Amino acid sequence: MTRRPDLTADVSEILLNEEQIQAKVLELGRRISDDYAGRELTLVSVLKGSLPFMADLMRSITIPVQIDLMEVSSYGGAATESSGLVRILKDLSSSIDGRHVLIVEDIIDTGLTLNYLVRYLRGKNPASLKICTLLDKPARRIVEIAIDYRGFEIPDQFVIGYGLDYGEVYRNLRFVGVLRPEVYLDPD
Amino acid sequence: MVLDPDLDRRPAPAFAHASEAELARILDFYAVAWEYEPHTFPILFDRSGAVLESFSPDFYLPELDVYLELTTLKQRLVRKKNRKLRRLRELYPGVTVKLLYSRDFRALLFKYGKLSLAGMLTGADGQTTPPRSRGERPAASAPTRAHPRRSRADARARAAARLVGAGTPDDAEVTA
Repeated sequence: MTRRPDLTADVSEILLNEEQIQAKVLELGRRISDDYAGRELTLVSVLKGSLPFMADLMRSITIPVQIDLMEVSSYGGAATESSGLVRILKDLSSSIDGRHVLIVEDIIDTGLTLNYLVRYLRGKNPASLKICTLLDKPARRIVEIAIDYRGFEIPDQFVIGYGLDYGEVYRNLRFVGVLRPEVYLDPD
Repeated sequence: MVLDPDLDRRPAPAFAHASEAELARILDFYAVAWEYEPHTFPILFDRSGAVLESFSPDFYLPELDVYLELTTLKQRLVRKKNRKLRRLRELYPGVTVKLLYSRDFRALLFKYGKLSLAGMLTGADGQTTPPRSRGERPAASAPTRAHPRRSRADARARAAARLVGAGTPDDAEVTA
């Protein structure tokens, strides 16, 4: 893989620029603030990709919120070979029993990870459990999941930036862009 | 933490294609319950009502009430599969079937850092058993269990063995 010093050079198209993202985050924050007014809300972010979205979203919410972070192993990672089953790499720090929980995701594509998380978190007796995602790629869906707050529906392209990575790179881009195929396709 | 540790102890069927075995492993990883080709849907009948053609989606996800059909054939060869799926949807509107094409499966492998396996797991190279003729699978008048279960280790061993020596025609019907 050839990676240029300028990360933006690996981007074939900017799908969502910074202004579009921030406007949508503000809109989602307003809706969430209205919907959860008077209720105890915990935002649960799924590492690592949703970190920038979580940081911006929580600051656009005007009601009191608690935040928590989770990380789960991904198929194909090192954990796959050892157990063959998804593992919680970082669990919640606080109890969500009786609290209203909003899962904050960067992107939903197959829905497999989220489906697992929803079942896992339901087992912890939250008062309610809803889902907020910045990006939704429905073309890749295997498990249908009801999304309560959706930022953008995106086409079936490999996207990076604003938390989304390829090989742990590009997360720090301030926009969401399409990665040039020559970056990840073998030239042979 | 594991939601359902028993998932990995279930006996596995003999998969018809290595891509199906890989998809089963992905579903297992994310604790999604699945059954392999549990139901056969008759989709074409003669005037007397006898079944002429049927369709068995590869996977059924009972907790989600969804069928998955995986085809790793080249796109130009998928027409027959699409026709069968259209017919199934006409006759069984309450049945949800998701069709995963070769490009979808490759995207899945890419997502999980396994794109290098795509060549082995897709198309004719991924076949674990010779292509079936129409008469080999018993057609049923109602959805029915179609395949006996075998051990998962057995299925994987068969898949691995076939990955090495596959030599079937490029346009072979892979599943269902």
